[in-house]
Amino acid sequence: MTSGTERLIDGLVDDLEPVTPAIHLRQAYAVVLAVWAAVLGLVLWSQQSPMGAASLFADGVYLTSFVGLILGALGATLSALAAGRPGRDRLENASLGVSAGSLLVASGVCLAGLLGEGAVPSPPGVDAMCLQKGAWLSLLPAGVILSFLVRGWTTRPLRAALVGMLAAGALGAAIVHLSCDFLGAGHLLRGHMFVPLALALLGTYPAGVALRRLGK
Amino acid sequence: MSADERNAIAREAPADDREARLSEWMRSAQDGDTDAYRRLLDAIQPMIRRIVRLKIHDEAAAEDVVQNTLLSIHRGRRTYRPERPLGPWMRAIARNSIVDHFRERKRKGGDREVELVQEEWAYDREESAEGDTRLAPELVAALDALPDAQREAVALIQIEGLSVAEAALRAGVSAGALKVRAHRGYRGLAKVLEGARVAGEWRSERPAGDAATSFEGNVEKAK
Repeated sequence: MTSGTERLIDGLVDDLEPVTPAIHLRQAYAVVLAVWAAVLGLVLWSQQSPMGAASLFADGVYLTSFVGLILGALGATLSALAAGRPGRDRLENASLGVSAGSLLVASGVCLAGLLGEGAVPSPPGVDAMCLQKGAWLSLLPAGVILSFLVRGWTTRPLRAALVGMLAAGALGAAIVHLSCDFLGAGHLLRGHMFVPLALALLGTYPAGVALRRLGK
Repeated sequence: MSADERNAIAREAPADDREARLSEWMRSAQDGDTDAYRRLLDAIQPMIRRIVRLKIHDEAAAEDVVQNTLLSIHRGRRTYRPERPLGPWMRAIARNSIVDHFRERKRKGGDREVELVQEEWAYDREESAEGDTRLAPELVAALDALPDAQREAVALIQIEGLSVAEAALRAGVSAGALKVRAHRGYRGLAKVLEGARVAGEWRSERPAGDAATSFEGNVEKAK
């Protein structure tokens, strides 16, 4: 052992304080999903006619994009939480693969639907409204995921933040999907499927910086 | 019992027993048991060194990575779940440290400006070892002009001569964060000192070949 390493070990031992082990990954996952379910319940409860939920099985594009969003959200959430746990790299990468694949397929189905239905314009402002609503609804899940990441440990805070934002965006988009009255494929693509992308673009850097500072 | 004796016992123990013992020590360390923690660190550091040396052949660089890994284990010890084996957790942290090392080496590949400031400090350290502990006044002034966090990082590494991991522990940040701060500090120093040279404010009375002159030459070469 070199003297530098010996000195470091002495320093680490002197610096030791009791810590509470991070909660199990399954428990953290359950907490995120419970928060998401609570937000979803609140939105559906506050809405007089949840048209989206009622028409889930009536429209192929709608159903496929919903399944894609849900799988994308579940996979990205698991990947983000695993990113804060050393030794869970395989789970992190596999679930990210499932998530990215699902979101891509769902977006592809919406795009195909859009091309099939022709240039049917959405009512003015509807796309932006859903995009905005999705972003707002993503904030609470994003906060919960980031709080777990801060309590964890990662050497790649920006990547962890990116996956966390994708996860939160997909969770928010799934709520919008279930509570939206407009079923056009173009709207689903622009107003719903873009929510994870928008949140990743806007939120990754600040979240990554926060992770780097708070998780040191 | 010495560290070597403890390591020898750990090597002779069957893998499962050793794994169980390491996990037990880590559990105790999470409760604040310093003896168990020292036993754990003494036992795992040769394992980490073996993993690191498979990928990094330069001895000094490998030792840096070993230290960064130990620091990361310390910082991330709450993420160890007692019901899981310690080995994969520890190896993942070592792997991340190795990846960080190569990533940083790639990033610093073309960063001549930073290398020059580091060389400058190395020159000053040699002088200090010979009994002259003064830094060039311009260097002191430039150091004072840095933000606190950057000044602390540069001073811990270059003046106190600590390794990155030791400096990170002292500053209470991760090794990566400390390297970023030091790197920014070097860039800031290079900028301030070059400005002083261009403005003709370099008035150090130290003889030719000393830190100031050497730095001036380095800045010139960097252009």
